[in-house]
Amino acid sequence: MGSLTEIFWNEQAGLPLLLALQLLPLLGAAVVFAFNERSTAVVLGKVFALGELLLGIVAVSHLDPTRPALQLAERFAPLAYHVAVDGISLIFLLLTALLTLLMTLYGMSRGMISPGRLFAVLLLAEAGLVGMLVTVNVAWFAAFSALELWAVVYLLRRWASSPAEIHALARFVQYQAFGWALFAAGCIVLGWGHAEATGGIWSFDLFDLQGAIPVGKFQTAAFYLLFYGLAVRTPLFPLHGWLPNMAQHGLIAVAPALMVGAKVGIYGMLRFVLPLTPAAVEYWQPYVVGFAMAGVFFTAALAFQQTNLRRLLAFAVVSHTSLLVIGLFSLHEAGIQGAMLLAANFGLAVTGMWFIVGFVFRRTGTTELHELSGLFERIPFLAIAFLVFGLAIVGMPGTPGFDAAHLILEASIDKFGALSTVATALGNVAAAGFLLWAFQKAFLSQAKAGSHDVDKTLPMEYVVCGIALAAMLAIGFFTEPWLFLTETASQAAAARFAR
Amino acid sequence: MTLPLLSLLVFTPLAGAAALWLLPARATRPIVALVMLLTLLLATAALVAYNPAGARFQLVERAPWIASLNIQYLLAVDGISVLFLPATALLFIGSLVACWNVVREAPRLHYSLLLLLQTTTLGVFCALDTALFFVFWELMLVPLYFLLGRWGVTAGSAAAAARYFLIMLAGGIPLLIAFVILASSQAVPTFDLMALLAAPLPRSTQTAVFLLCLLGFGVKVPLVPLHTWLPQFALAAPGSLTALLVGLKLGAFGLIRFAIPLAPDAALDLHWLLAGLGTVAILYGAVGMLAQSNLRVGLAYASICHVGLAVLGLASYSAQAAQGAVSLLLSFSVATGGAFVLLEFLRQRTGSTDVNALGGAAKTMPLLATGFLICGLAGVGMPGTSSFPGEFMLIIAALQTHTGAGMAALFGLSIAAGGFLSLYRKAFFGPISRSTVADASDLRPREWAVLVALIVMIVGIGIYPGPWIEVVRPAAEAWAVGLAR
Repeated sequence: MGSLTEIFWNEQAGLPLLLALQLLPLLGAAVVFAFNERSTAVVLGKVFALGELLLGIVAVSHLDPTRPALQLAERFAPLAYHVAVDGISLIFLLLTALLTLLMTLYGMSRGMISPGRLFAVLLLAEAGLVGMLVTVNVAWFAAFSALELWAVVYLLRRWASSPAEIHALARFVQYQAFGWALFAAGCIVLGWGHAEATGGIWSFDLFDLQGAIPVGKFQTAAFYLLFYGLAVRTPLFPLHGWLPNMAQHGLIAVAPALMVGAKVGIYGMLRFVLPLTPAAVEYWQPYVVGFAMAGVFFTAALAFQQTNLRRLLAFAVVSHTSLLVIGLFSLHEAGIQGAMLLAANFGLAVTGMWFIVGFVFRRTGTTELHELSGLFERIPFLAIAFLVFGLAIVGMPGTPGFDAAHLILEASIDKFGALSTVATALGNVAAAGFLLWAFQKAFLSQAKAGSHDVDKTLPMEYVVCGIALAAMLAIGFFTEPWLFLTETASQAAAARFAR
Repeated sequence: MTLPLLSLLVFTPLAGAAALWLLPARATRPIVALVMLLTLLLATAALVAYNPAGARFQLVERAPWIASLNIQYLLAVDGISVLFLPATALLFIGSLVACWNVVREAPRLHYSLLLLLQTTTLGVFCALDTALFFVFWELMLVPLYFLLGRWGVTAGSAAAAARYFLIMLAGGIPLLIAFVILASSQAVPTFDLMALLAAPLPRSTQTAVFLLCLLGFGVKVPLVPLHTWLPQFALAAPGSLTALLVGLKLGAFGLIRFAIPLAPDAALDLHWLLAGLGTVAILYGAVGMLAQSNLRVGLAYASICHVGLAVLGLASYSAQAAQGAVSLLLSFSVATGGAFVLLEFLRQRTGSTDVNALGGAAKTMPLLATGFLICGLAGVGMPGTSSFPGEFMLIIAALQTHTGAGMAALFGLSIAAGGFLSLYRKAFFGPISRSTVADASDLRPREWAVLVALIVMIVGIGIYPGPWIEVVRPAAEAWAVGLAR
């Protein structure tokens, strides 16, 4: 049993980095909001997003990945404020910061109404995500999650791209509110359990809860509430119903990137569900994995049915999320490490694809596959970028997906045997199938007569896709530092479970 | 520390591809030609630097790559792979000549993809770390997909490209799983082929590894029934691409380099499977060829047939068979690759390679017809051509260990020869009925040069095979010794 330890920030850095990481986007949101309609707001939004990314890199440089303890910890007892990170949280943090930066760049030329407010909400959402990633208190996690969901709902309501948005929005709110309520109920079960064990002291802190893990059916209840609460937002089959509609009708790229690009659902499972309900996790592992395996194929089959590129990408997300869950619930250090790296890889790749879909939509006004054709001739760079992102999802060598898939396969062979491993890997080929199919329809097919006159790639588009591509390939061919960053943390996570 | 010759060789085309984008567009083709000649020079240098009497693996370059998974950047050549390097370089030059005047749309992108394909192909032959090998192996798909999907010659080329890509991707899975099993069954997980060869595995693991590798490489070879992508590919792809894909015997190379030596006991147990697959491929390819009217598809079936012979011979696991297989595969690289390049010349002139649209082509294009005949005869293993020594060794090996299969193979090979001559007669002899054939002009000097180089190699090696076979022999003997332990 790996019990939790922590190292406080003053041993490692000159200032409370995690607090700074949380406050910077909040400050940014306030400043940008104050500049509302002026063009300075746009510039400031980008500056704050870049600053957050740089601060994240500073945090990584202060972390010692060889130590299993949670690090850079900060506590403030009266508010039950308690934050700490390990290599895995920082990977997700960097991903979130990078995605936010790309979103601010992406928003640039859209000529949106009140860009200041858009950027302010975006930075609020980032603050919510960062808060979820650094906190080790389940109640704080739930609170930050509420903040981030509110920001996304606001974005969807105000800047939706299609008249069907109200329906999509209603669906989104129903699902997310339900998921959030489940998670909150799970928190209460845990807190209650702690109060029972300690004679009336309520706590939601991971470190306290670790010592008072609920037993028997309470643990099962806590597991189900927390797991399915997070599964809604991950989204995990069969709780994915909100995503395709939101992807089709919502604000292109930004909303899906915030919801599924940042992958906090998977992170939450690792940080809270695995350590706090270990026996239930082990007991229910075959069911979770079985559902996930079914999910890989079922959603891949649904993806083949789609006629809209945005919906298709949504199903691609659900399909690959199932793979992440298989990796995570292998409860094997290689599988956990692979799942975490793969999650970051998927987040970056899928957001990149969503950006490109957004660029295409700006040119053509549609994302219906049968109305798109011959885009390769006009925007070859974006076409190739789209394919590379697609290949990253499939785990092509040279992208971070390769080493991650490698690790998951290793864990999967070890835990579930070769047959299920091959089946899962084939599900991945199915994903390659529908992504290629979509690519061919939209990009490679002969341009239809009377089709849209498509503008050439803009400098901003080169920048956004170029950054994402460069990050992808650089990590892909130079994976070592990232493996190093996550290795000890994955071992610590897997140490709770029997091999 | 000496010059990292293999790294230079592998990455010269990639650097060339990058250079294309930095220099003006009109310089594209000369640069590509220059880069490919430089690559050929480096490949020849590697061949000269290789000492057949020396260590098993030479020109070794080793550096840590992903240390925590113990994946290394490890390049080396042995007698089995060293000859494939100049053959690859030559084939790419032939392919370049075949598409010299054809690529009108986005030529820079086309040639950079071609150069990328060359880097990955050379990487496959040089990589000695299974993970690095797999990286090169899978990366080959990306340029191939684009080259076929974007510059294909039929309307269905995008579909053919996707099909090829998906089948190959699915084939990659068993390979990756096999490599992961191999690595994790060691005391210290490693992907280093030399270390893996030195450490024997339990028999059950070997069987799994062998079958997975057979599946993974069998798709690429292609072995019947995993060959379904090939005819469609041959029809949809321009000849310059088919020449590369059919000419490069990567699948069979994978079997010789990885599948058999890594799981020797399983390979010996399952010799009947390998021999059976080989025999089926020979017969199926030969009969399939008879049914074709398109020369390109016919050649694709012929290639199934010939690689089948290599696989059948390998099932005897003797040094002689390995030596024969390597020299036969090399000869086919040159001969089949050359034949596809010549067919591309023919297609550019007449618009078709279907025998029904040809007829009498030898009258207007005597040089092309002669060249194609020589390549074709080399393809059916005519004595005096470069294929004969290898084919002879393989048939002897097959007859000694699998007599029945060897007889069937002989039968299949004669059908294939007949099939080739029949197609050839319909296309090149008889009266001219089409204006496209009547108006066609014979080979230009640039194409001529390719043809002469091909014929010199085919006939030269055919008459005087000694030095080439000697390069392979020590490595082939080491290969067989490794199996017999």
